[in-house]
Amino acid sequence: MNDFSELENDLRALRPARPSPVLFERIEEAMGEDRKVAADTDSGWSWRLFTSIPLRFGIGLAAAAAAVLLLFMRINTEQTQNRGKDTAQVSPRGSETTRGVPGVSGSTSPSAWASSNKFVPAGATQVVYNERDEGLQFADGSRRPLRRVRYQTQQTWQWRNPTTGASLRVSYPSEEVVLIPVSGQ
Amino acid sequence: MGPGLLLFARQWTRSAADAEDIVQEAFVKFWRRNHKINNRALLYATVRSIALDFIRRDRRRARREATAFAEADPTIEPQFEWEDEAQSALATAVGCLPHDQREVLVLKIWNELTFSEIAGALGISQNTAASRYRYALASLKKNLQPQ
Repeated sequence: MNDFSELENDLRALRPARPSPVLFERIEEAMGEDRKVAADTDSGWSWRLFTSIPLRFGIGLAAAAAAVLLLFMRINTEQTQNRGKDTAQVSPRGSETTRGVPGVSGSTSPSAWASSNKFVPAGATQVVYNERDEGLQFADGSRRPLRRVRYQTQQTWQWRNPTTGASLRVSYPSEEVVLIPVSGQ
Repeated sequence: MGPGLLLFARQWTRSAADAEDIVQEAFVKFWRRNHKINNRALLYATVRSIALDFIRRDRRRARREATAFAEADPTIEPQFEWEDEAQSALATAVGCLPHDQREVLVLKIWNELTFSEIAGALGISQNTAASRYRYALASLKKNLQPQ
């Protein structure tokens, strides 16, 4: 195989054409649509998916985005609960079902509002759409070279309300530089 | 992974757009079945399976592709970004390889799969994968030698 090593190097230097910039968006969109259908038929599938995807890059940013989103949803839920209490007495449904005893009906109680506003994780994707080798470098005080690789990804997180069917999606680009130690030969 | 995967899909299509459709469908299928993304052999096998389905879906296209593969039509060649004449000649030579050798070469060089993974993706033995790779390199070397 050694007599082909030069040819192999030449082949590796030949770069395949890059995918169109919209490809990863199309894939993400198609996965989102597919996930919506799958979630309707198997509610457990989406959660397994959420935990099984290996998240190699940008996990800190993703976690921060998720935390902010969950905080937002909690605030939103509390506001909705309070609004539910206020409006239960005047809602047409409450007046019909309880016949003048608003707030007694299970459908308008605060706990019902809370359960209907619960979002569960429905999926996470990370599409690495560009990987660039930026060459070798030496870290401060180190004699060992490091290979600098820049990854550009598109992260998407999705939550779904199993009661109402509403879904929430956060998608953002992220970029990460990884330094890989290079062993001497 | 993106450019290499697209290049692999590109072998069954004339246009990059068709190859992108195949890659998209493969990702969705892979995702739907909840496979682990690090199972590369299965991912490439999925791309290959969808590419073949893609061809079968359109009989007219299938006839065109079958004829093209039989004749090793050089117009169905992987797409590369070359920087000089030498790379252009190399890309053309790769495009002229027999299909079974070219797909092994594409998986080995531009997707960095092991022979074991290539065997899994293509449904062949490791020895067959390795020998097709060697034949491909030998053929390229012969074609690129100055006359």
